[in-house]
Amino acid sequence: MSDITTLNGGSCIAFKGKNCVAIACDLRLGNQALTVACNRDKVFKITDKTYLGMTGLASDVDTLRSAFRYRLNMYRMKEEREIEPETFAHLVSSTLYEKRFGPYFIEPIIAGLNSNNEPFIAAADLIGCLNFAKDFVVTGTASDKLFGMAEGLWEPDLGPEELFESISQALLGALERDALSGWGAIVRVITPDKVIERTLQSRQD
Amino acid sequence: MNSILSRFSSTNALPANFDNEGGRQDFQDSINGAPAQFDLPGTEPARFLSQYTDVDSSNPAARIKLQHGTTTLAFRYKGGIIVCVDSRATAGSYIASGTVKKVIEINPYLLGTMAGGAADCQYWECRLHELRNKERISVAAASKYLSNIVYSYKGMGLSMGTMICGWDKTGPALFYVDSDGTRLKGDVFSVGSGSTFAYGVLDQGYHWDLTDAEAQELGRRSIYAATHRDAYSGNTINLYHVKEEGWEFIANYDAMNLHYDGPGDNVPGAPGGGYGWDVRTQGLSSKLEATEGQQTSGQGGRFADEQPLTASVQPPQA
Amino acid sequence: MSAGAGESAYSFSLTTFSPSGKLVQIEHALAAVSQGTTSLGIKASNAIVIATEKRAPSPLVDDTALEKVSVICPNIGIVYSGMGPDFRVLIAKARKSAQAYWKIYGEYPPTRVLVQEIATVMQEATQSGGVRPFGVSLLVAGYDSARGPSLYQVDPSGSYFMWKASAIGKNMTNAKTFLEKRYNDDISLEDAIHTALLTLKEGFEGQMTEKTIEIGIIGTSTVGPVGGSGLKAPLFKKLTEAEIKDYLAL
Repeated sequence: MSDITTLNGGSCIAFKGKNCVAIACDLRLGNQALTVACNRDKVFKITDKTYLGMTGLASDVDTLRSAFRYRLNMYRMKEEREIEPETFAHLVSSTLYEKRFGPYFIEPIIAGLNSNNEPFIAAADLIGCLNFAKDFVVTGTASDKLFGMAEGLWEPDLGPEELFESISQALLGALERDALSGWGAIVRVITPDKVIERTLQSRQD
Repeated sequence: MNSILSRFSSTNALPANFDNEGGRQDFQDSINGAPAQFDLPGTEPARFLSQYTDVDSSNPAARIKLQHGTTTLAFRYKGGIIVCVDSRATAGSYIASGTVKKVIEINPYLLGTMAGGAADCQYWECRLHELRNKERISVAAASKYLSNIVYSYKGMGLSMGTMICGWDKTGPALFYVDSDGTRLKGDVFSVGSGSTFAYGVLDQGYHWDLTDAEAQELGRRSIYAATHRDAYSGNTINLYHVKEEGWEFIANYDAMNLHYDGPGDNVPGAPGGGYGWDVRTQGLSSKLEATEGQQTSGQGGRFADEQPLTASVQPPQA
Repeated sequence: MSAGAGESAYSFSLTTFSPSGKLVQIEHALAAVSQGTTSLGIKASNAIVIATEKRAPSPLVDDTALEKVSVICPNIGIVYSGMGPDFRVLIAKARKSAQAYWKIYGEYPPTRVLVQEIATVMQEATQSGGVRPFGVSLLVAGYDSARGPSLYQVDPSGSYFMWKASAIGKNMTNAKTFLEKRYNDDISLEDAIHTALLTLKEGFEGQMTEKTIEIGIIGTSTVGPVGGSGLKAPLFKKLTEAEIKDYLAL
């Protein structure tokens, strides 16, 4: 029960749509059964059109957030361009594998549009094994429930608004069955010209 | 001395031994409909059961899942007893049910609350239903019967923490009984993983002279606090009021409605509007606002401490 | 100190400036480059050509083993003028750098990034103890999604330049003058190859044959699958002797 990967709780999900992607997460930060905070965003902006979601041990999420900030800023300056989501996924993978025998206890998902505005989503395990999914990716303490919801709700070629509706229902549904995730949620839909960011009203128990 | 002790050691304290004691045999007979005794496995029931029972959440392979997450509360005041419970059942982090009845209606004057093993609570507390003579059993007696029964199974994996609430000749009476054999008389109890949160609200708002509406609000608000902070408590809240004429079921509340909308208008003791901290402080709390060009990424400036880094463009030729 | 002894007094210390502000060893390294065989590069509208004269020091050398145009990674190739052994060391470092980049990002470096890596290695050789500067100048031809086709020159000092067309080595001044006259922005790859051959021919010592020149090209017409990804991208390609022979015959 004192499992370090489920200590803080929290979940993330990403859906691929037609010329858009969506990424969503819950807002809980817990200490085992105790809910400590309800404003823990788990999705981070990487570039204007690439977002990274990380669930697992909250302190490792923070550490990796600054590690990626460092690596991305170095990349920007050296290459004089923004990183592509595909390239960033590889960077995440190699960063995690560097700690193969003492890993960060997080599982990331990546969602974005590349420079041709093609949708891209990927997930990795805690040592960086990449999964380039064609439909959806999930991570976190509610991942098994999210798989169930996504299998039922995802469909191909959804537009931004439909994708928002679909991913929101999938997330909220899964949160209802997971004790360690919930307490609010944020959904982001990435389209070629804008990112739609909405906070969902959800159960607070 | 040794013979007395051995009777209470875990391997010997079996119902089979009851045959040797006339008093207990009578008691066994008085429980109509219950098996005279349970079939017990082999030589060491405790060891046998530990394979299948998960009392301290350390054995995930166990088949008998115990309901660990719970918040229940009961308190005595001048108007009777308020009994309030949540309705969540969890198996690990999985929410197995959100509609569990954790108040057991033993008879029109007696309520029992349920925390721990659902089956254990239901079974043994229902047995109390059969307790009746020429007059209603006292709450003290009923709770002592329960306490004695579970004590006789001590060490065999029973898990329950219950409050027996009722109104008898002595007035409103409240007892805490658990599977270790503890039996306590008291005015305020809360049991379960969320009990600490409930106690926080309960102790702060409790006094003997509460009105009925205030007392009900206190019970409701206390369980709400536990559903909010405790991951293993939640979904709906059941509220009961034990009065001189017997208990009354007040209502079932969805914790989400209590958070956003509250218990309704003009409830004495209620803050008005939703219970939720974010609901009550909307527009009142201070908030970090991002300055021009700062990365905010939702949450209105949660990351406002981060300075933007504009990639410095080198001259095209070195 | 007499004026005449001035320069020579500083000329043996790699890391000491002469009073006139020069690092004399680097000037000497450039002199070594100027003695090397001529190499040149041309940027076409959607491709890069690099070419060089290849001369064996003796007719007894088996020239099939000589290589002056090297592939670094699928999208980048390099040609040099100057000292062959120094080039070999830089090639090894550049290849390692490209593979290290691939290990992190799952793709090969953009030309500019690799050029910066090589330039850094070359600069360090001008400032470190116990070493001498590299006696080579490089022409780096690459293609990437960020900048398309690009041609860079890297010098022994570690400075690098992006060119539309350039030449290094023995005949570089004449070759550059020639390229300045012939170059325009929207020439095709085929035209660029012919311009490269014509430029090399200027001041070419002896017979120019498929055995005595090397040509490397990269652009949208040399596309192929990269790595294991199955995605197609422009690949750096060395022309075979037969292909060069065909171009010379035209």
